[in-house]
Amino acid sequence: MLRHQDDAPAPAPEPAAPLIELRGIDKTFGTVKALSGLSARVGRGEFVTVVGPSGCGKSTLFNIVAGLEEPDPGGALRFEGRSCHAADLLGRVSFMPQRDLLLPWRNVIDNAILALEIEGRPRKEARAEAMRMLPEFGLAGFEAQYPHQLSGGMRQRVALMRTFLFERDLMLLDEPFGALDALTRALMQRWLLDVWQRHRRTILFITHDVDEAIFLGDRVLVMTARPGALKLEQRIDLPRPRRPDLVTAPEFIRLKRTLLEAIEEESLKSFQVAQENAR
Amino acid sequence: MSAAPALSASPPAAGSGRLARRIGGRVAGLLVVALAWEGLVLLLGIRPFYLPRLSAVLAAILATPGAYAAGFLRTFAETLVGFVTGGAFGVAVAVAFLRLRSLREMVFPLFVVSQTIPVIAFGALVVLWFGNTLIAKAVIAFYLTFFPVTVNALIGLESVDPRQIALMRSFGASPRQILLRLQLPSALPQTFVALRLAASLSLVGAIVGEWFGDTTGLGVLLLQAMYTENVVAIWAALLVSALLGTGFYAAVAFLERRLVFWGAEQ
Repeated sequence: MLRHQDDAPAPAPEPAAPLIELRGIDKTFGTVKALSGLSARVGRGEFVTVVGPSGCGKSTLFNIVAGLEEPDPGGALRFEGRSCHAADLLGRVSFMPQRDLLLPWRNVIDNAILALEIEGRPRKEARAEAMRMLPEFGLAGFEAQYPHQLSGGMRQRVALMRTFLFERDLMLLDEPFGALDALTRALMQRWLLDVWQRHRRTILFITHDVDEAIFLGDRVLVMTARPGALKLEQRIDLPRPRRPDLVTAPEFIRLKRTLLEAIEEESLKSFQVAQENAR
Repeated sequence: MSAAPALSASPPAAGSGRLARRIGGRVAGLLVVALAWEGLVLLLGIRPFYLPRLSAVLAAILATPGAYAAGFLRTFAETLVGFVTGGAFGVAVAVAFLRLRSLREMVFPLFVVSQTIPVIAFGALVVLWFGNTLIAKAVIAFYLTFFPVTVNALIGLESVDPRQIALMRSFGASPRQILLRLQLPSALPQTFVALRLAASLSLVGAIVGEWFGDTTGLGVLLLQAMYTENVVAIWAALLVSALLGTGFYAAVAFLERRLVFWGAEQ
């Protein structure tokens, strides 16, 4: 398996100690190898996006980093400089799955404080903190509404707020805007960058949208077809704050071409494998 | 920062008017049935032995209201105790089955067998054990209640979205927190399906229990009327039982609407 590095000759200004580091991670489910020798690192305060063909093991990678899934023995997993088991990461990473997964019997504010409640924070205090955050998430005045009364974009913002309130250094976002229409999605992307810059968290963000990956990330990781490994690591040196018209800049287009080529190659591979299996 | 889209979520108000209209409709329906009963018996000349007039039945109740009120309260108490303990036990067993697969494999078949025993056969035994007490009737009501609750609560507990559980775990939630904050509330809609069924079943249990011997209760009134071939009294006991059964069912349905307000979403 080929592993390209960023072709920029200058040493990447990587923070001294990465927040999380994976080295040679394998994961097998029965006879299916989902990840094979995956290595990746995320520096403190970095915004790293992950793209790859469907079924490349992105979700498996996330489940490992969220502590939900233990990798096969052999690889190394390090968090805050210490080697650890995946299970040690439970409760230490704020995880946002693809679907909002709001609890229908809890209103906006009580959904937002779910993680704080589990931590054992008094409800009253947690609610007060969430109330202060509502305007920033465009939810002011909606605290007493129930999920079925909200639009898709608002539900997603409640889920994001739940993730932000659970203050952990590392945030994992799994295609959080995948279900939204293009216009809402663009708004949410800019809004997320805004919030991220103010709160300065480390974000690992899965998407299948290359534009989104470039627009948001400091670095884009392209994964190979299954079994998933790192295909390409692309530094995105576009200035911040990033404006909506950035997506038409020649610099952006150049990056997009590089990334699309890599993804295309892998998608084709997984397509051919699927065809062979069908035969 | 994007502005919040002004979404005017419909407030859940304006329900009181609709409720009044619904109740009005039901009262009107009852009145129509009452008038038809009275009218048809008169019109077709049905003999009181087969079907007495409604007015005669109501008059019988009003002649000795104390006996019917006491019977109503007694049977209600038996039903309620059986229903509440049966419901609580049913949910507790469902949680135990969810947690302990081996316990479930061992005990569940026994439960099924227990439910195939006709309640009548079981009733004699219960009265022997507990005597002519309220507890004896409540035990029979309990026996009819807990099983459907166990089955449905277990279905509800097991149908929780695994991604939902994964999310809770990623927050560092303990199994107990996952049970209380996620699994039990998720299982409520399915559990209430059984509780509505159990509302009727527990009344059956209480009345059947009274047939094994007691001095007060709607079952006792029914039995006495049957022995004396007092048709009006049979109908009177029946009417009061219907009132209790409907009222109890309505109370459970009301509780369901209050607790499971989010509907069948997800």
